[in-house]
Amino acid sequence: MSKIVLQLYIAGHTPRAERAIGTLRRMIESELAGYECDLTIIDVLANPQQAEDQKILATPTLIKSSPPPYRRVIGDLSSVTDLLQVLNLPPKS
Amino acid sequence: MSEQYRENEETTIESLPPLTADDTVRAIVSHDTDGAIIVDRSGVVRFLNSAAERLLNRHGAELHGKVFGFPLVVGERAEVEVLRPNGDFSVAEMRVLAIRWEGQDAILITLRDITAERQAEAALREAEEFSIAILNSLTSEIAVIDEHGRIIAVNEAWLDFGRRNGITDLSAIGIGVDYFAVCAAVSDDVYTAEILRGLKAVLRGEITEFMHEYPCTGPQGTRWFALRAVPLRGTRRGLVISHQDITDQRRAAQIAAEAEMLREQLRQMERELVNVEAISRPEEVQRSRLAPLRQRAPDLFAHALERYGAILEEALHSRVHRTPMPSQALRELGEWLGAVWATPRDLIDTHLQAIRERSQFYAPKKIQAYFEEGRLLLLELMGYLASYYRAVAAGELRDQDK
Repeated sequence: MSKIVLQLYIAGHTPRAERAIGTLRRMIESELAGYECDLTIIDVLANPQQAEDQKILATPTLIKSSPPPYRRVIGDLSSVTDLLQVLNLPPKS
Repeated sequence: MSEQYRENEETTIESLPPLTADDTVRAIVSHDTDGAIIVDRSGVVRFLNSAAERLLNRHGAELHGKVFGFPLVVGERAEVEVLRPNGDFSVAEMRVLAIRWEGQDAILITLRDITAERQAEAALREAEEFSIAILNSLTSEIAVIDEHGRIIAVNEAWLDFGRRNGITDLSAIGIGVDYFAVCAAVSDDVYTAEILRGLKAVLRGEITEFMHEYPCTGPQGTRWFALRAVPLRGTRRGLVISHQDITDQRRAAQIAAEAEMLREQLRQMERELVNVEAISRPEEVQRSRLAPLRQRAPDLFAHALERYGAILEEALHSRVHRTPMPSQALRELGEWLGAVWATPRDLIDTHLQAIRERSQFYAPKKIQAYFEEGRLLLLELMGYLASYYRAVAAGELRDQDK
């Protein structure tokens, strides 16, 4: 089974960003507990070029680059249920 | 309106082909002053208006066909940071609407720039935090009330006072609470009525300031406070009320008043004693009579203080347990003081020093008891000293007669 690779782009440690990080950690520890997950958090204020290379237009943005299909989600990342549905997770075996 | 314009207008409207649903959406969205982006179900940009281009600081052509992202909104709206190529960003309120676009399901994302509002809110928050920081830096207990008596701000010292007085639910004395009710709960009725009158007079603008001293009984005994109320300066009507613990000042003032009263009472006795003393003292002692015992013989003064302190404690114990007063010890001390040529002033000095030492450590009620017992002891001791000098004087006279 391929690893779940997630990248979260935030703009500084705002309450919005902290909420998104909390939701993702919860999701990985509970709903995705049986899967190998790799979550990277990128602060666009510290790494503007990386954000520009990825054409990140808004934050918070969550990218699921693996397993396919590729997904990019923006906005309110506080609902684990919504996130799982939009990201098409957990992967169907 | 000119004939030509009317003709053109008619021509334009009538010559237009019927609008498709996409055209209608495009027309509405294009004129929207908020940024609007239409994405497909994969989050790929299918259309964006000029307001969105300005907000993102990017050309539409650059973004068309690129992934913006699938928008997630919990409730009606979400807040996002909109990033610009130069690393700058704005805060935007994002709303979404499911629509049909070019024959497919799509999502209309509207982005309203709320950076200015958020900055204004942050500035306001900072100003409020600054005000609270100032309030918290003050050691007086402070409550700010509105014109109806509702508390609109309090400082840490105010909450600490609540904690020290056993209030576990601090919301009972915090923001939103009726100050007048809090006041009534912690202070005696007689003081409350006067305080309320004063506060309302300041609120009505009849007086510019109200000050009042009142007692407050808590777990640490009765403490005294000075309340000061001044009008709240600003657009809102209200009062800034500070409470300063003045127990120590009052205690000091009480000791000073007590000392003055004792001096008054003893002045009469002193005059009488001076005469007896003058007769009874040897000449060499009389020469140094103005020097207080504390100065001329500190060790004797310390000894007197120790003995007087022990008698004072015993007297207080006798008062509580209704046992006989330590009169014999007091008589012996009086005679000893006479033997070292102590004056009435030395006795007052000893007494006040003993009271002062105790006032630092005991509650006001006990200090009051020391005052009362001490006053009686001092008068009695003064009597023994006078008797001693009289006896000495009488002896001298007998010697002279022989």
